Amino acid sequence: MSSGHGHSDGATVKERADLALNNDFLRKAVKFTTERLKGGKLKATEEHGNWEEWRERGKQIRLHTIAHLDYYLNLFVDNARANGVHVHFADTAEEAVHISLSIAERKQAKSVVKSKSMVTEELHLNHALESIGVEAVETDLGEYIIQLAGETPSHIIIPAIHKNRYQIADLLSEDAGEKLEPDTSILAGYVRRKLRAKFLEADIGMTGCNFAIAETGSMVLFENEGNARMVTTVPKTQITLMGMERIIPSWADLEVMATLLPRSATGQKLTVYMSGITGPRRSADADGPDEMHIIIVDNGRSLQLGDPEFQELLNCIRCGACLNACPVYRHIGGHAYGGTYSGPIGAVLTPSLQKNVAEWDDIANASSLCGACYEACPVKIPLHEMLIYLRRRKIESGHGDKVEAIGMKGFATVMSKSGRFKAALKLGKLGQKLVARNGEIRIKIGPLKGWNSVRVTPSLPKKSFRDQWGTMEAEIRNGLKEMDPDMKNRMEAIVKDRANGGGHGHG
Amino acid sequence: MKVSLFITCLSDAIYPRVGEAMVRLLANYGVKVEFPTVQTCCGQPAFNSGYWDEARATAKTILEAFEDCDFVISPSGSCTGMIHHYPKLFENDAIMYEKAVKLQSKSYEFTQFLVQVLGVTDVGATFPHKVTYHPSCHGSRLLGVKDEPLALMSKVKGLEFVPLPFAEDCCGFGGTFAVKMSEISGAMVSEKSDHVKETEAEVLVGLDMACLMNIAGNLRYRNEPVRVMHLAELLYEGVKQA
Amino acid sequence: MADTHQDWLIEMEAESRSKQTKFINSISEKLRRPMVTEPPRHPFRGSPDFWNDYELNEEERIERFTTNFKSVGGHVQRLSTMEEVQRFIADKASELSAKYVIRQNQPELDELGLEGALPGAQVSVWNSDPEQHWKARAAEADIGVVIADYAAAYTGSITVLSSKDKGRSVSLLPTVLMAIIPVERLKTRLGEIMVHFDEGGRDSLPAGIHFISGPSRSADIENDLTIGVHGPGVVYALIVG
Repeated sequence: MSSGHGHSDGATVKERADLALNNDFLRKAVKFTTERLKGGKLKATEEHGNWEEWRERGKQIRLHTIAHLDYYLNLFVDNARANGVHVHFADTAEEAVHISLSIAERKQAKSVVKSKSMVTEELHLNHALESIGVEAVETDLGEYIIQLAGETPSHIIIPAIHKNRYQIADLLSEDAGEKLEPDTSILAGYVRRKLRAKFLEADIGMTGCNFAIAETGSMVLFENEGNARMVTTVPKTQITLMGMERIIPSWADLEVMATLLPRSATGQKLTVYMSGITGPRRSADADGPDEMHIIIVDNGRSLQLGDPEFQELLNCIRCGACLNACPVYRHIGGHAYGGTYSGPIGAVLTPSLQKNVAEWDDIANASSLCGACYEACPVKIPLHEMLIYLRRRKIESGHGDKVEAIGMKGFATVMSKSGRFKAALKLGKLGQKLVARNGEIRIKIGPLKGWNSVRVTPSLPKKSFRDQWGTMEAEIRNGLKEMDPDMKNRMEAIVKDRANGGGHGHG
Repeated sequence: MKVSLFITCLSDAIYPRVGEAMVRLLANYGVKVEFPTVQTCCGQPAFNSGYWDEARATAKTILEAFEDCDFVISPSGSCTGMIHHYPKLFENDAIMYEKAVKLQSKSYEFTQFLVQVLGVTDVGATFPHKVTYHPSCHGSRLLGVKDEPLALMSKVKGLEFVPLPFAEDCCGFGGTFAVKMSEISGAMVSEKSDHVKETEAEVLVGLDMACLMNIAGNLRYRNEPVRVMHLAELLYEGVKQA
Repeated sequence: MADTHQDWLIEMEAESRSKQTKFINSISEKLRRPMVTEPPRHPFRGSPDFWNDYELNEEERIERFTTNFKSVGGHVQRLSTMEEVQRFIADKASELSAKYVIRQNQPELDELGLEGALPGAQVSVWNSDPEQHWKARAAEADIGVVIADYAAAYTGSITVLSSKDKGRSVSLLPTVLMAIIPVERLKTRLGEIMVHFDEGGRDSLPAGIHFISGPSRSADIENDLTIGVHGPGVVYALIVG
């Protein structure tokens, strides 16, 4: 699978999004799934209660860990080594792939079974393994389906969100060499049998890592199907790919993450399986891997460290709640984002992980900045603000659109002096005479082309507010009532409190 | 106590009736609103698009306009929210930063001011219509204006409130987003109109004219006979009727 | 290139250690301060205080566990003695016509005497014979029987820890899982279980710690819930005592 596969055609987010908008099934499927997950999350968080306090705790734990990442990563590595794990470090995707392939070659591996891992998607590891003749099998049901289709995940939690059961039945029938009915239990039953055999014969099990516990050197996996347990129990060698920021200090902190992650992702109290793996099998154990490798991957993550505007990006626990909350994601689906990560987190993470911001920056425009992502985020990452920072950096680095830049200069010229603003309004009233009818403008040309293709624009009224103010003010002054003393006292108290450092400010 | 109106460029130019409703309503409580005419625009279009120098140039008119008042009130959660970004916008300019923090602490969205500062929920209005409400994203999520408009509407005589399905979903406006990503924006506003239609409400109210212009524009395009108005307008009309 | 696999691992370790210094140093540099080598104060460790005080009584724990476990498609049986457990498993095994049963090698399960109570099935005891291929034995089993190390009522979870006598496969590969939960091991919160892992420390931990909260599931095909995708599709929690 190459990076280009599975993405909708089209060079820009806008083009890909426009294609997705014309795919009715995709829109409906994505909408249905995200509504279901969003509803589940809402129900689960209300039932659990004190959600804001849990979010705040989750955020604080992540902030603390990232602020001391050098300490905790060292601690994790020391403990993991003491557990008998072979730890490796990779600055880049290429290095991580190189280490993975070296292990596979050393073990003379013929096949690798994988459980869902966004990091390995980021590295395009399956493709690399296949290039040296190692079969890489995705074992999460949804991942297996999209692997057969030669695509990439379009949702962080539900990778095959964009496929219907008929498409899936066709893919699996081709795989099986016989016709399978488009019935979920038949299709899942086939995959179970097929993958059982793959698990038992695989030389290597490959996983991602939801959390790594520094104090004990354990790695933790959340899943519902049991395939991640298979991958870490059956094959003789385990390779875990782990983003360098996956660390949490302790098991006590894991309780907080276990409270936040499943509820935010799917509305579950806990995923069916949560596994803490601490090293390879003990010598007397009769299952578990003989040899365990953990590859700690940077691949652009450290670019966020020490950057006050983006460091919080490393707090992400990959729950997908921002995708489910996002109205833009719901309309265009994951592939339109064009990177490994989609939705609001992808719109910020993809350009942030790449040094070449210019190549990816149009993703940051695919947001109305509504803040639903921030509200949904279990660790309170201000994604809606980061999107603005990304846009600003694009302009500052000179990659802005030239026409837009001229427009914004004009905007600033007019708006920096009220007299100019007033003059512009006057000009507007003159200009609109050509196009306004009955207080409305319906033409679909120039800047109004996109807007007016589904809307009607109101025209400017005869008098603006500032034109009317003089008369209005005189009328008000005449009819002004006496202020209630209680009201007056309240206002004075608020002003006084403000002087003492109080106030009602937000972030 | 000096209370100043931050009209916002959109209401100034296109919806002066919203500002009028606000100042006339407040006059009933003895609040004499001032209107400093040096104000223009909060700078949000430039800020959100990444043109911060341009945003600062316009933001300065707002900082200047409201330097000497005690309260700033605005008919927009989004433009009030923009004021909350001023400290970040001026983080490298100590003098302006201090002014920005001061302005932020005294800026209120209209219903926030009415309910939280004046302590008013019953303005004595009558409005015998079926009404639904779209909570704009910036006002509700970033400023936390959630209960105030509902409290105000609950006291209006004759008003039948119908909750808007998926009310918290963005209408698709997003400033330059509606132009740059017009197809996505169009899909979002169409969905919003579908939800408004589902409620069978006669009137859609909100606290942000930009979002309402977007939704109203689409409803009008589809010939849906729904009246769209700012809550201040509804309250003022209701008081006149009562 | 190294001659033996062991040599190669040693080479890789040397590489890793030299890389580690660079890797971690670069983190400290990016954070614009010297490397932190002493444990930093962590004022937000673990769950909020109000949560740590949350406790259900035994009946409430049983009820909560039962509701949660059933709501995700699991089965729960409250039994008073191990004799009843034996009878329950025997009845289920015969109802399901189980041919192969695998159980953990635990004294409580020895006493259960399943071997005698299940005449129609072959009962294997995990890792009791070094010649056996135990993963294959577990994979072919119709029923796996385990005794839970802990359980958490609030999330409806069973915790099993691996050891020489307690294979991870027993709770994973069979079609049906029967997990016996002695009632005194049923806690309210996950945190009451996790605290043992923090307190015991790295040395005390087994290779595998698994929290199991119902039957294996997936909603990957059109959001349609499928049970038993890879792990056991039928899970019984037998609360005893």
